[in-house]
Amino acid sequence: MISQNLREEVHNCIKCGICLTPCPVYKQRLVEVASPRGKVQLIRNVMEGNLELSENFVRILFTCLLCETCTVNCPSGLKVDQLMKAMRVEVIEKFGLPGKKKFLFELLTGKRLLPFYLFWGRVLRNNLLPLLPVKGKVGTIPLKKFPRLNRQPFLKKIPEVITVPEPKGRVLYFTGCATNYLDGEIGRATIEILVRLGVEVVVPKDQMCCGLPIFLAGAPQMALPNILKNVALCNRQDVDAVVVECATCGAALKKEYPHILREMGQNAEGAEALSRKVLDISQYLMKFDLGKMLRPLQGKVTYHDPCHLLRSQGVKDEPRALLRQIPELNFVEMGGADVCCGGGGTFQWEHPEISENITAQKIGNIEETGANYVATGCPGCRLQIFGNLKKDEIEVIHPVQLIARSLSG
Amino acid sequence: MLTEKILQEFETILGKERILTSKEDLLSYAYDAYVEEYLPEAVLFPKTSVEVSRIMKVASTHRVFVTPRGAGSGLAACGLAKQGGVVLCFTMMNRVLEINKPNRYAVVEPGVVVSEFQKEVEKIGLFYPPDPGSATVATMGGTVLMNAGGMRGIKYGVTRDYLMGLEAVLPSGEVIQTGSLTAKDVTGYDLTRLICGSEGTLAVVTRITVRLLPKPKARRTLQAIYNTIDQAGNTVARIVEEGIIPATLELMDKMIIKALEDYAHLGLPLDAEAVLLIEVDGDQASVEKQAGIIAEFCRGQGARDVRVSQSEKESDQLWMARRGAFGAVARMRPTCVIEDVTVPVSFLTRAIKEVITIAQRNQVQIAVLAHAGDGNLHPLVLCDLRDKEEMKRVEKAMDEIVDFAMSVGGVLSGEHGIGIAKAKYLPRQLSPQTMNLMRNLKNTFDPLGILNPGSFLECAP
Repeated sequence: MISQNLREEVHNCIKCGICLTPCPVYKQRLVEVASPRGKVQLIRNVMEGNLELSENFVRILFTCLLCETCTVNCPSGLKVDQLMKAMRVEVIEKFGLPGKKKFLFELLTGKRLLPFYLFWGRVLRNNLLPLLPVKGKVGTIPLKKFPRLNRQPFLKKIPEVITVPEPKGRVLYFTGCATNYLDGEIGRATIEILVRLGVEVVVPKDQMCCGLPIFLAGAPQMALPNILKNVALCNRQDVDAVVVECATCGAALKKEYPHILREMGQNAEGAEALSRKVLDISQYLMKFDLGKMLRPLQGKVTYHDPCHLLRSQGVKDEPRALLRQIPELNFVEMGGADVCCGGGGTFQWEHPEISENITAQKIGNIEETGANYVATGCPGCRLQIFGNLKKDEIEVIHPVQLIARSLSG
Repeated sequence: MLTEKILQEFETILGKERILTSKEDLLSYAYDAYVEEYLPEAVLFPKTSVEVSRIMKVASTHRVFVTPRGAGSGLAACGLAKQGGVVLCFTMMNRVLEINKPNRYAVVEPGVVVSEFQKEVEKIGLFYPPDPGSATVATMGGTVLMNAGGMRGIKYGVTRDYLMGLEAVLPSGEVIQTGSLTAKDVTGYDLTRLICGSEGTLAVVTRITVRLLPKPKARRTLQAIYNTIDQAGNTVARIVEEGIIPATLELMDKMIIKALEDYAHLGLPLDAEAVLLIEVDGDQASVEKQAGIIAEFCRGQGARDVRVSQSEKESDQLWMARRGAFGAVARMRPTCVIEDVTVPVSFLTRAIKEVITIAQRNQVQIAVLAHAGDGNLHPLVLCDLRDKEEMKRVEKAMDEIVDFAMSVGGVLSGEHGIGIAKAKYLPRQLSPQTMNLMRNLKNTFDPLGILNPGSFLECAP
């Protein structure tokens, strides 16, 4: 059910249409239901009893990247994304999750994830990779561009507490699924930098998927056990900060957890306390004077703003400042750095025809800079950009990986 | 009534994918930025003038009502199917066809978004001045049919002043060309400027040729803060008298200052009664000189604080207040009705004070923004549409604002249009003879009455 204060939100839309042009999805489709205004007005019609929840309505509601561009641009300050997320919950209660999403989310929340991962990752997937159809695609991304799984989950390979002599700080590191299962190098880079700065790192072994993709798909009940477990695990007194290098996990821990729990009538105090401690890795690193420790790195880097970092968490300057510190590395701002890459989690899988054009513009902007690195702190964005890049000489990378290279350079 | 058979005829023109009929789609074309809503029976998305012409022929044959629409940012329900029928939506007909630098003109299709067009021409050192508040949303076609204005009106005029020619489709389906590519043209009646501002009642525009200017090389922004509205108003009068023409001259009243401070914390003093934002543009030397003179005027009229921007960045910072004003006010209450009366510029101060008095008398919340340089007031009336009693008071206040504007030789609407929002006041400004002539004109263009029915001429008493 949509809570009372969100129900009031629909009446605050003055229908000015300022949200139309900046919306990446509207820009592709040019029909009103694709726009945030269209969706808000349909939600109002549902609430006023003029419109039944239909399958068409569900399709419209899910034809949205949840990039939050509308929310940050709305002159009336409407929380458009929260309204749409709440409406998604209501329609999923009625229509249920589509099969393929249900399977994915059961994996992410359940105990089956590890055996599944071991079976596919170690036994089948990596060995079968050459046998996959060369031209096959998931959404806009060719199968052969999907990353290989880590040989072993990252969390298995490191101790729970990484100690340093005379620590200058102590943080809890929430790795997220992407680092744990797909890209252990980002985890290694993060820990390496923190240790070099003299920071003690606590990495709880039984941290769960943050649950945000599941919540955003409209199934908060399914995500609830993960949320409660993560809050219990991460809300601790003995660390100065909870650092996250995944934009989506950060958005979950910093912004969405308290909100989801309140909406579900749960106690949100623990989540609020945790939220105040969460920092994106770039924010935490900028508290230190890294500059003098960094060695030159050749080349040119540009930066893409993940929606979940820029708009959900309001982090814009720190990742750029971090990259600019690397000696001799040329930082160039791309056009439209703050525009969504078109990935949107499962969006590119469900709407490849819309995603394709949004991503093509992003790729064009990246190529125009002439950069050989495009850095961004979101696994979804990295997959979407890498999966659609035609030029192999551009490396898609997390900012911490560049910092780590510069440290050891 | 739109039958299945007629829809099929439209389908042979556009294909299935450019005709929307689902309930969800129709509901989403029932509104614009005004408060009233009307459900269309179908929404059609043409991409060429040939398609538009064929659609109008089918519509004429079967007497189907057709209402043209751009992005739906209008403030008077002009793009809504007020009596049913189809909405002809131009968002997909959105190419910039030509930008001609030697002759300084451009040709665009109606669905091009104004601000995107402006960015495009500015890249090559040209300038399209009409700049309505909705420029980032509104389409060129919509601004032509509504004759949109904006903040630069005082120096650069409005949309009508930049039109060189149109391609338009008459309700019968015939295609006409108006105007020319030359700077001067006195051949026949000026149909271009008749169709402009017709609120989509005479013809449907399918191609637009606009005049462009060289982009000004420099600009300076001044912000002046006043203890009384009179001081601000006198400054405006002084600037106008002196023959200085700034590019923009905007006034914000006390309520807007408060809303801005609550929301954006820009450091404006809460006890001030008015803020003026003034921009001058042109070549470097004259911009410096004008900025200096205007700053002196502001101080001379008692401004308590005057700031002159020293860089583009500082200009942008000063403009943040004006750009955020509407939003900051709009978020105070669920509904925000934007008034648009315009008075001869020498009555500006009196008009603002009158609006404030009317608001107090009727216990209605009104914040006043004004394009002060051209006497165009935008009282922002804050209310809640669901509160019937409050809406009655709002209506009474609006009546009184119109009364005042009429009494000093003002107009009902400076730039938002009449539509259904102000149709009831129309006889207050136009004589029966004028109304009659307008109705005859409408009849000449649209004898079957199928184009945008329920518009201002029909609603007027």
